[in-house]
Amino acid sequence: MNPNSPETWLIPEDLHIDDLFASLKEKFALDVLPEYSAKIEYVDTFDWELYREKYLLHNNAGSWSLYHENTCSLTLEKGGPKLDSPCFSSDFPPGPLRDVLTPILGIRCLLPVATVLLAGQEIRLLNRDEKTVVRLIIERQQPEGQAYSYRLVRLVAVRGYDKELSAAQEILEENGIVEVVSALIGFEEACRCGGRYPLDYSSKFQIQLSPRSTAREAIGSIYLELLDNMRINIPGVMADWDIEFLHDLRVAIRRTRSGLSLVKQVLPDALVSRFKKEFAALGSVTGPTRDLDVYLKDRQKYLDRLPPALQPGLELFFDQLAKKRQAEQKKLVRHLRTKKISILFDDWQRSIEQEELHPAPKAQMPVLSVANPIIFKHYKRVLKTGLSVDRTSPDDDVHALRIQCKKLRYSMEFFASLYPKKELQVVIKHLKKLQDILGIFNDLYVQQTMVLETLGALNQERPTKTNLSISASLGGLLQSLYQEQEEVRYHFKEAFIQFTDEETTTLCHQLFKKKQVSK
Amino acid sequence: MSILAVYNIKGGVGKTATSVNLAYLASIQRKTLLIDMDPQGSASYYFRIRSPEKFGTKKLLKGGKHIERNIRGTDFPNLDMLPADFSYRNIDIALDDCKKSQTRVKKILEPLEEEYEQIILDCPPNLTLLSENIFYAADQILVPAIPTTLSILSSEQLYAFLDEIGLGHDKVRIFFSMVEKRKRLHTEVIQSMQGKPGVLTSSIPYLTDVERMGVYRMPVTASHPNATASRAYQQLWDEIQDDVQAQ
Repeated sequence: MNPNSPETWLIPEDLHIDDLFASLKEKFALDVLPEYSAKIEYVDTFDWELYREKYLLHNNAGSWSLYHENTCSLTLEKGGPKLDSPCFSSDFPPGPLRDVLTPILGIRCLLPVATVLLAGQEIRLLNRDEKTVVRLIIERQQPEGQAYSYRLVRLVAVRGYDKELSAAQEILEENGIVEVVSALIGFEEACRCGGRYPLDYSSKFQIQLSPRSTAREAIGSIYLELLDNMRINIPGVMADWDIEFLHDLRVAIRRTRSGLSLVKQVLPDALVSRFKKEFAALGSVTGPTRDLDVYLKDRQKYLDRLPPALQPGLELFFDQLAKKRQAEQKKLVRHLRTKKISILFDDWQRSIEQEELHPAPKAQMPVLSVANPIIFKHYKRVLKTGLSVDRTSPDDDVHALRIQCKKLRYSMEFFASLYPKKELQVVIKHLKKLQDILGIFNDLYVQQTMVLETLGALNQERPTKTNLSISASLGGLLQSLYQEQEEVRYHFKEAFIQFTDEETTTLCHQLFKKKQVSK
Repeated sequence: MSILAVYNIKGGVGKTATSVNLAYLASIQRKTLLIDMDPQGSASYYFRIRSPEKFGTKKLLKGGKHIERNIRGTDFPNLDMLPADFSYRNIDIALDDCKKSQTRVKKILEPLEEEYEQIILDCPPNLTLLSENIFYAADQILVPAIPTTLSILSSEQLYAFLDEIGLGHDKVRIFFSMVEKRKRLHTEVIQSMQGKPGVLTSSIPYLTDVERMGVYRMPVTASHPNATASRAYQQLWDEIQDDVQAQ
C-alpha cells in the first residue's frame, strides 16, 4: 500500500465510532488530535483541465491548495484571487502555484465546480514507545446543500510499520468497514449536485458509435452531441467567462455545418438546406467577437514583432480593438438572448430525433458504407490539390487545400470510433501537421488582410497623431507578417510529403477504401 | 538534493540536538531522511524509534534494500529516519574490510538521493575511517562547537585531518552551540572567530528547552516552534540554506 495514497473505506451507518475506538484500544494507544472542519470549494476549468492532469485545486477560507494525485504533492498558498468571479492563472501571485497552473490552464478561467463540507479527525495509533505507527483519519464529507453525508476512514501507513498497519486494517474489517470508496466521493457527489461530473466536457470531439448502427442513427448521435456542445457553452459565452466558450461554440457550429454538407442523403435535402442556412447565420453572428479575440489574445506576440519605437502605436491600436470587442460582445449577447436561438436548437433536436418523419435514401444504410466513401473522397481531394500546391502557389490555392484538409479531418473525427484507433491516429497525426502549417499560413494571410483594411480605413480619416502612430506600427507589423508567411511556404511540401508517404497512403486505403460493408 | 553531516570530534556539543532539529525543519520544506550513525542512538531515541531487530553494521554497509527495509517513518509526515544500531561501535573494522573503504558510505547513500531531497547524518564523535567516509559523502560538514579554547583546537584537528586526506576545507561550516552569554570566555572566543572562513553567524544558546527534548522525545522545533531555541535553530537552518544557494 502506498503510504501517501491510502485506500478509503466507507463507515457503515450503524457503526458507532466509540465502538471502533474501543477495538483499536485493545491493540494500540490512541492519540486523538483535535477535530478539524472546513468548507472546501473546488474549482476547475469548464473542460476539467486540472482534473485531466490529475490535479485538484481548492479554496478553503481564502487559502488555495493544489493537490496532485500521482505524486501526492501539495502546493499551498495563502491569499491569491477571490472566488466571487472567474479567475485566471495570471490572477495568482507569482510563485509555485502559479507556475503549475499557467501551462495547464492556458487561457481558460477557473470556475467553482463543487463545494464540500468536511469535518474530521486524525487518530494516531501508538506503540508501547508511544511512537506513531499508523495514522487513522475519520472524515465526514457532505456535498453542500445536501442532507446526506459520507463517513469515511483512511489508514495512512508510517514507513517501516507494516505489521501494525495490517493489524489496524484487520480491526477495521472486524468492525464491518469493508467497502472501499473513492477518497473524493464528496467532491464527485457535490459536482453531481451542481449538474456536472468530472470530465463531462472536453473541447475535443469524441463520440462512441456502433458499427452496427445505421447511417441515420450514427449521424443523429453526432449532431445531438454537437448540439449539446453548443447549448452547454452558451452560458459561458453570454457571461464572457473566458474566450474558449465562444471558440468551442463556434467549433460545434462549424462541425455541424460540415456534417450537413459532407454527409448527403442521410437526412432529407430540404431539412439539410434549411439548417445549413440557419447554422451559417448563427456562425456569422459569432464571428466578429471571435476574430477580435484571436488578435487580443496574442497582443504581446504582435508587440514583440515590432521594434520598441513602433510598439506604442500598436498598443493604441489594440486598445481600440479591445473597445470594439466589448461592443461586439454586447451585440452577440443580445443576439444569443433572443428566442430564435432556442427555437433553432429545439427544432434541430426534434428533426434529428423524429427519424420517421424525415426519411432519406441512405438513412438505413450501415454507417460504415456511408462513412468510408465520404472519408476516401475527401482524402483523394486533399491529395489532388496538395500535389499542385507549392511555395509559388497563390494564397487562394493554399486556402482551398486548407479547407479540404479540414473537411477530411472532420469526417475522420466524426466516425473515428468505427476505425482501429492506432492506425487512424497515424493518419490524423500526419494530417494535423499539414493542417498546422496551413493554419499558420492562413492566419498570417488573414492578419495581413486585416492590417491592410485597417490602414485603408485610417487613410479615410483625419491624420491625427494617434492615427499616424497606429499607421506606422501597422506598416511594421505588415512587413513582419509577410516575411513570416513567406517562410512558412517552404514547409508545405515537407508536411505534404509526410502525409503522402507510403505508410499513410497504405493506411488510408486499408481503412477507408472498402467497397461494401455488410450490416 | 544535499547531504549534510553534523559532526564534531568531541561529544556533548549539541550535535544530536542539531541533527534532530535541522532534520525536522528540513522536512517542512522537503522529503528528508535522518541517518543516525552514532551507536548510542540518541537521535533514534528522540524519535522513539527502536533499532530494527535484524539490522546492524553489516546491513548498513551492504546498502540498497538492506537499508531501505529498515528506514522508519517518524511522527512527522516528510521525515523518515534510519535508526542506529549498537553494532555501529565496531563499524571501522567492518569498513576496513570493504573495497574502496573510504567511499563506501558515499556509495550506499547514492540510491537514497533519489527518494530524499535532504539527507542529514548524525555522526559519532571521533576521527576514524567512518568520519573519513562521511567527509567524502557529505556536501556540507556542519560542526557545532562550544565556544571554548579546546573546541577551537579540535576544529584545527579537523582541518589538519581534511588536509591529510586531501579534501580541503570548503565543506566545513562551524557554528557555536550551547552558548552562554554570561560566560566571558564564550563571548571572547566567538568574537575572535567571527568572520573567519566557514564560521556561521547563527548560534544556539544553552537553553533548557533543548535539554528537555529528551522528555518530550521530539524536536523542540516541533513541540515548541516559538521557543527561543526553536527560533535559533530556524535561523541556523536559514543561514545554511542561503549558504547552499550561494554556492
